[in-house]
Amino acid sequence: MSKATPILSLKNVSKVFAGYRALNDVSLEVYPGKVLCLLGDNGAGKSTLIKVLSGFHEPTSGTLEVNGVTAVFKSPKDASNVGIATVHQFGGTFPLMSIGRSFFVGAEPTKGRGIFKRFDKKYANETAVREMQQLGITRVTDGDRLIGGLSGGERQASAIARAVHFGANVLILDEPTAALGVKEAAHVLRIIMQARNKGVAVILVTHNVSHALTVGDHFAVLIRGEKADDFAKGERTREQITDLMAGGEAMAELERELSTLTGTINQIN
Amino acid sequence: MSTQVKKQSVGFGSLIRRPEFGALIGALAVYIFFAIAGGAPFMAPGGSASWLNVAAELGIIALPVALVMIAGDLDLSVGSVLAASSMTLAILSGFYGLPTWVGIIAALLVGTLIGIANGYIVTKTNLPAFVVTLATLFAVSGLTLGLTRLLVGSTAVSMTADPTTKALFGTLLDGKFSVAIFWWLGVAVLVSWILYKSIFGNWIFAIGGDVISARATGIPVAKVRIALFAASGFGAALVGVLQTCMYNGAQVANGQSFVFNSIIAVVVGGVLLTGGYGSTIGVILGTLTFAIVNQGIYYTGWNADWAALILGILLLIAVLTNNTFRRLALSGGNKKEKKN
Amino acid sequence: MKISRFAKATSLFAVSALALSLTACSASPAPSESKPASTDGIDVYVIGGMPSDPFWGVVKSGAEAAANAVEAAGGTVTWLGPQNYDNLGPDAGKLVDSAISAGAEAIVVADWVPDAENEAIKRAVAAGIPVIHYNAGGIEQADATGALTYIGADDYVAGVAGGEAAALAGAKHILCVNTVPGSANQEARCAGVADGAAKHDATGEQLPLPSSNFGNPTAVANAIKAALTKDPTIDGVVTIGVQDADSAASAIEQAGLTGKVQLGTFDLSETQLNRIKDGTQLFAIDQQPWLQGYLAVSAAWQYAQYGILPASRPVLTGPSLVTKSNVDVVIAGVAAGVR
Repeated sequence: MSKATPILSLKNVSKVFAGYRALNDVSLEVYPGKVLCLLGDNGAGKSTLIKVLSGFHEPTSGTLEVNGVTAVFKSPKDASNVGIATVHQFGGTFPLMSIGRSFFVGAEPTKGRGIFKRFDKKYANETAVREMQQLGITRVTDGDRLIGGLSGGERQASAIARAVHFGANVLILDEPTAALGVKEAAHVLRIIMQARNKGVAVILVTHNVSHALTVGDHFAVLIRGEKADDFAKGERTREQITDLMAGGEAMAELERELSTLTGTINQIN
Repeated sequence: MSTQVKKQSVGFGSLIRRPEFGALIGALAVYIFFAIAGGAPFMAPGGSASWLNVAAELGIIALPVALVMIAGDLDLSVGSVLAASSMTLAILSGFYGLPTWVGIIAALLVGTLIGIANGYIVTKTNLPAFVVTLATLFAVSGLTLGLTRLLVGSTAVSMTADPTTKALFGTLLDGKFSVAIFWWLGVAVLVSWILYKSIFGNWIFAIGGDVISARATGIPVAKVRIALFAASGFGAALVGVLQTCMYNGAQVANGQSFVFNSIIAVVVGGVLLTGGYGSTIGVILGTLTFAIVNQGIYYTGWNADWAALILGILLLIAVLTNNTFRRLALSGGNKKEKKN
Repeated sequence: MKISRFAKATSLFAVSALALSLTACSASPAPSESKPASTDGIDVYVIGGMPSDPFWGVVKSGAEAAANAVEAAGGTVTWLGPQNYDNLGPDAGKLVDSAISAGAEAIVVADWVPDAENEAIKRAVAAGIPVIHYNAGGIEQADATGALTYIGADDYVAGVAGGEAAALAGAKHILCVNTVPGSANQEARCAGVADGAAKHDATGEQLPLPSSNFGNPTAVANAIKAALTKDPTIDGVVTIGVQDADSAASAIEQAGLTGKVQLGTFDLSETQLNRIKDGTQLFAIDQQPWLQGYLAVSAAWQYAQYGILPASRPVLTGPSLVTKSNVDVVIAGVAAGVR
């Protein structure tokens, strides 16, 4: 790993909800121009971690650092102010808004002055379409079209384009490929690499090991709120990662149980 | 309104993909239906005034309610707000004899304040607006009744507006057309501007689409929602003022029918009950559809017992049609644009 | 009767527009004061509407006037009213049972929903308590429950009086505007209007307006205007309530038929009286609610204490027609809270 300052780092972060420990003593570092893959099964604490990073939750203990300086996110706005942008599974979150309008939600361009100050729809539509085309979504030419009419990959692209346009330097992608077909997923992975090459630090949250291995520079595996492993590209095989994510003992128990019903696990394979 | 520069989309294909297309069909269909069934009296100026007058008052309430609904909330309190504001005006200017304009300002203030209270409670407690405004509907109606009886000792208060305010709020032009129609036009222009031209409008759509994401982008969600509830309270109060000036008095039981009629007009107009989608043209058309059905039946000479049945069926058809057209809008229909 | 109109509207809208109280409990008896049962006088229990209802406020004033005499004789008068009108029949039945168990020695009850109330009333009669029906139900229900008599108005009779008055003033085709179609009281009123008109060579017909117009004078006014425009032979309009009368007045004006179409209404309000005084309205039909409260309480007490009872059954308190000739004295009565 490089010795550069991480753009964002977590130090011994824990998050407790009403007695339930969703995150326990997690430390992570994210570098510009690198992709950190956050792996874990359902309920491993990935969502909580994202919410801590994007300012929805404050950690119960531990600290966040931005460029080596301790930061406290009181709200999502604080996180986005330092350039952290989060894109959710379904990408464009406003399915019934037009591409142009949703692209600029919360940062609307205006023209005119005083009481004539108004939303600049032409600029919004043109910019949104241009940014998406730069990410290879050439099918979209009309900024008036509704987000909901786009394919899953196009919606991811519009959300990523939006984040990049507004100067995000940390991009958190929450299961961007989970709902996509093979081809669309590949396209989204390509867009992730484009963002990475622009120097953006990407946190890719997924439970798809293949996708992670394709684009990841660094990996962290979460199990029941704890960081179970942390390694750089090439340090683990796909099988090692899959076994780890599946969760050791629990899996062995399940296999034993299954074998009483169906014979040994080898027979199933 | 669309000053689109991109290569696009004139003609029928894009027209049917507009959200208000279903509402337009509905309005035209009921008009033609009643024009045939009601004949000349329905189409005469007096007949048009019938449904325009009803539509105007409903529309003044429905347009701000539509904004509330596009932002994903609901306002059921408009019925009681109307009663409270018209009572405020009648008591201040009728019973206590203050100048009419004092009563009008107080009435509009009462409506706006109730709206702000709704918005404040909804955003502070995170309870569904349905529950909060239902509670306000009851509470305000009780408060109005209680205070009115306490102050006046009756539930009906009469008031005579001074000539200027009577002309502005409560006259019939040509003996037929209520001035409320012009107030409705004004409200329609204002609401359209807010929704499409101001950045505030973009926030309304965003909050209705996904309130969490909207908050994450830095939109002052709570303030926007409170402002929208205030607008809806103001709209209801304005109708209270118009009716009080028109009918020279107020009754505590007034306005309750606007609670559901405004939601019907908004939904028939293509606004999504769950928020995030809708248009002012659609709401205007939905309001007209409601008013034409509401009044048209009396020109047919049929037994008016069936009016509510027709209204119910119409509502169902309208919502189904709107769903179809919304699906069309989402499908985008871009076979022609395949490039890669 | 006003109460059924409100009860109907509230149930139709699922929001009780007039539900005063925020407390959900609607059935709990609410004695306005709890007094120890007196030993010598008669304890009269009165089951009536919500005192906040303007109509019942006047009834209650009448009952209170009669209570002076009861109390002078060492008795008490207790008013029991429902919290709201959402579940009127069963609530009123429960109030009757409450009165029985509270030791009532005479009961005055409005039989709004006979199916729901009569069983309880029969229990009171069976317990030997003198019962008087008032305001609603008519003499038929008093006979059914074994009550002494009925004191109140008769909707049909009132309608006949209205129909006759309109026809005598020259109207030939009278429209009875019913904003609570399906309510037995209002149907009886409109039927009475038609029959009254028929006595003087005029015809009457009903215009039912659906609940989706409730509380919206503009919708009601324009619907009436539509009916007047559609059928130019209509030259008389009778409405079932005071607000509808205001709407009808506006409709007549909008249709340009002022002076050509006569207007009359059931019930009273200041605006009606002013219009009658100005000559733009023909009449208002008063069922004299104050008299209902006063007579019913007096009769119940007098029978329980002295065995005195009016010989005429039923005792009708209305209709009393308010026209230009007697409007001034009525206006004075409104100011005194007895009309």
